[in-house]
Amino acid sequence: MPGLLNLMLREEYRLHVSYSSSRVFFSLPLYVLLIAFFLGATLNTLQPSINLNEMLLFVNGGVFVYGMGVGAFGFLGQTYLERRTGRANFLVAMPFLLPFSFRKAFASLYLRDIIFYTLLIIIPGMGGVMIASLVAHFRLTSILLATLAVFLSFLLGMSFSFMASVAYMHSVKLFGVVIGGFMVLLGGYGFLHLYPLANVLPPLLFQYSVPPFGTDIASAALWLVVSVVVVVGFSMAAILGVIAEPLTAATSVKDRYLNYHQRMAWARSYRSLLAKDILDMRRSGAVSKMLLAYVAPLVFLGFTTWYVNHGLRIPVGFNTVFYAAMVGSFGVMFYSWLTNLDSVDYYETLPVNVPQLIRTKLITFFVLTSIISTAFVLAITLANGEDRFLWVALPVLYITSAYSVISTAYLTGLSPNSVLFSPGILSRFAIISILPDLCITILSFSLDSTPLIAAAGIGLVCFALLTTTLIFYRSLDKKWCSTGFT
Amino acid sequence: MSAGMDAVSVKDLTKKYGSKVALSSITFGVEGGTFFGCFGPNGAGKSTLLRILTGQIQQTSGEAKVLGLDCRTQGVEIKRLVGIVPEVESPPSYLTASEFLEFAGKVRGIDDLDKKVKRWLDFFELQEAHGTLCRDLSKGMRQKVMLAAAFIHEPKLLFLDEPFINLDPIYQRKLREYLTELRDEGRTIFLNSHILEIAQRLCQEVIILDKGKVLTRENMSDMARRGEDLEGLFMRLVGGNHAGPP
Repeated sequence: MPGLLNLMLREEYRLHVSYSSSRVFFSLPLYVLLIAFFLGATLNTLQPSINLNEMLLFVNGGVFVYGMGVGAFGFLGQTYLERRTGRANFLVAMPFLLPFSFRKAFASLYLRDIIFYTLLIIIPGMGGVMIASLVAHFRLTSILLATLAVFLSFLLGMSFSFMASVAYMHSVKLFGVVIGGFMVLLGGYGFLHLYPLANVLPPLLFQYSVPPFGTDIASAALWLVVSVVVVVGFSMAAILGVIAEPLTAATSVKDRYLNYHQRMAWARSYRSLLAKDILDMRRSGAVSKMLLAYVAPLVFLGFTTWYVNHGLRIPVGFNTVFYAAMVGSFGVMFYSWLTNLDSVDYYETLPVNVPQLIRTKLITFFVLTSIISTAFVLAITLANGEDRFLWVALPVLYITSAYSVISTAYLTGLSPNSVLFSPGILSRFAIISILPDLCITILSFSLDSTPLIAAAGIGLVCFALLTTTLIFYRSLDKKWCSTGFT
Repeated sequence: MSAGMDAVSVKDLTKKYGSKVALSSITFGVEGGTFFGCFGPNGAGKSTLLRILTGQIQQTSGEAKVLGLDCRTQGVEIKRLVGIVPEVESPPSYLTASEFLEFAGKVRGIDDLDKKVKRWLDFFELQEAHGTLCRDLSKGMRQKVMLAAAFIHEPKLLFLDEPFINLDPIYQRKLREYLTELRDEGRTIFLNSHILEIAQRLCQEVIILDKGKVLTRENMSDMARRGEDLEGLFMRLVGGNHAGPP
C-alpha cells in the first residue's frame, strides 16, 4: 500500500505539472498562505460584524462542503476506470491487470487526496494564520486546535461524499438512503430545532470545547473521538463497498442521435456536436448528477443567507438581485462537470477543433441550466415578496451566468478542473469572478433606498460584463485553436 | 489527388516533448496514389509523425503538408479530407456504433448518410451490436467502429495507425482486402504498423524510423528484386540497435 500510495502521489503531481509547470504548481500553497495571512490579519476588524464562534461555523461548514466536492471517488474513480482504454490511464485502474484489489486502489486514491489537499491547502492555510498571529495576536495552541477541527471537518465531508458516491455505484436507492439520512439530520436542526447546527458537525463541537472558547477537556476528547470514529466509519464503509463496475447490466438503447440532431436545428453549425453532447449526458446519467451539483450550492446559498438574516439576526440586505448574481457565478462548477464527462480522444479524427467543442459545451450549459436558474430566482423573488426587483434580477442572472462560464472557458479551455490548480489562472479567475459579484452585491443593497442610482450602477456593471463576455467569446479561437484534444 | 503529386510532404520536421526529441529533422514525401508504410520500433516516432500530419499536434520546427494544406494551421481542413484511425480505439462511450457513424457523418456533412452508415455497419457486421453503447463493446468491436468512421466519407487519403490491432483473423483479412482495393483504385494510404507480414503484402513504399530519424526509404519492388523482405530489412537496420542480451 505505501508503495502504491507513493506512486499515486507522483502520478497526481505529474498530472498537475503537465498542465502548467512544477514552479507554478508549487506556488499554489504560497498563494493559499498569502490569502490565509490576509484573512487572519483582518480577522479582528471583522469581529464587530460577526463573532469568532460564527466565523468558525462558516469555516468548518465551508470546508465540510469542500471536502464533499473532493471525495466523490465513486464517481471520479469510475470515470478513471472507464478511461483506461483512452490515452489517459491511471493507477487506480491497474487492478484490472495487476494482482491487487480495487479496495486497495481506491483506499490509496482516498489517502492520496487527503495528503495532497492537506499539504497544498490546509497546512499552508494554517501557516498563513500563524504568520498573521504576529499582527493579530492569536495563540499558537488556538491555531493548532482550530486547524485540527478544520482538518476533521474536511475529512468528514470527504469521507461522507466517498461513501455516498460508492453507494451510488451499487444503486440509486442506496444513494437515496445515504443522502436522505443526511437530510433528516439537517432537518432535525432546521425544521424541528431539536439540536444546534454544530451537532451536525462533530469537529465543530470539538472546536467549541477548546481554547479560545473553553477548556472542557472531557467534552473535547469526546467530540474528537466521535469525529474520528465517524470519519473512519464512513471511510471503511466506502472502501469495503468499492466495486470495479457499477452493478448494472450493459443497457440496450434505441438509436436516438438523428432525432436529437433534428431537434437541435436551431443550433445551426453546432447542432451535430450539441446533439451528441446532450445525448451523452442523458445516457450517462450525468444530467441528474450535474443538476444535483448545481442545485446543492443553490440550496446551500439560500440556507446560508437565511441563517445569517434569521438565525444570526444580522440584518444584511440580501435580496433577489444578490441571489441572481450568485446563481450566475455557480455555473463555473457546472461547466467543469460538462468538460469532464467522457474522453474526447476521438475528436482528433474528426474535422472539429477545440474552440468549437468549447462553444458546444457553453451552449449545452445554457440549454440545461437556464430553466433551473430562472426558476430559482423566481422562487426567491416570490418567497421574499420582491417582484419589484425582478426586472433587474433576471438580466443580472443571465449576464453573470454568461460572463462566469465564458470567462472560465476562455481561461481554462476543456480542462477547468486541472487548470484551476495553476495559481496564475486561479488569481485571474478569482479577480474575474469575485469583483463583479462584489460590485453587484453592494449596489443591490441600496436598491430600496436609492433605486435609480443602484439600478444605473448595476446596469453599468452588467454592460461591462457583457462587453468582456463578448471579448472572451470572440477570443476563444485565438487562444485555443492550436490546442489538441489530448 | 492525382498520381505524381505529393499527397504528403515533410521537410526538416522536428518534434520535441520538452528535452526529448521524438522526430529529428526528417524529410520525405508520399506521392498521391501510393500505399505508404511507416515502420519502426516502439518509440521511434511513428505515431507522433502521424499525429502531426493529421493536425492533432504541432511540430516544433520544419514543414509538414498534407494534400497541399499546412498541418500546423489547417488541421481541421485536413481532417475534413482524410480518414484517420488513431492508435487508441476510443469511440464515445455513450453512443451506439451506428450513432457514432451518424455523428461522424453529420460532422463531415456527408450526403446519403443512411446508406453509407448501413454499408459500414454491414461491412464490419456491427449490426449485431445494435443498441449497445460503445463503452460496452469489446476492443475489437470498438476498433471496427473507429475503422468504419474513418472510411464512411470515402476519403482519398487515409492515415491508419495500427488498424489491424484487436481484429480477429477474419476481419484482418477482410480489411486487408479492402485496403488492397483502395490501393488499386489509386487512393493514398499512410500506414503505421508492427505487423510486417501484412504490410509486406500491401505497401508500395516504406520508410523505417528509429529514434526519430529516417533510417531508410525503400520501394517494395526494388526490395523484391534484391530478394529482401520487409522483416529482413527491418531486422537488418533496427534489430541490431535494439537486440537484448542473449
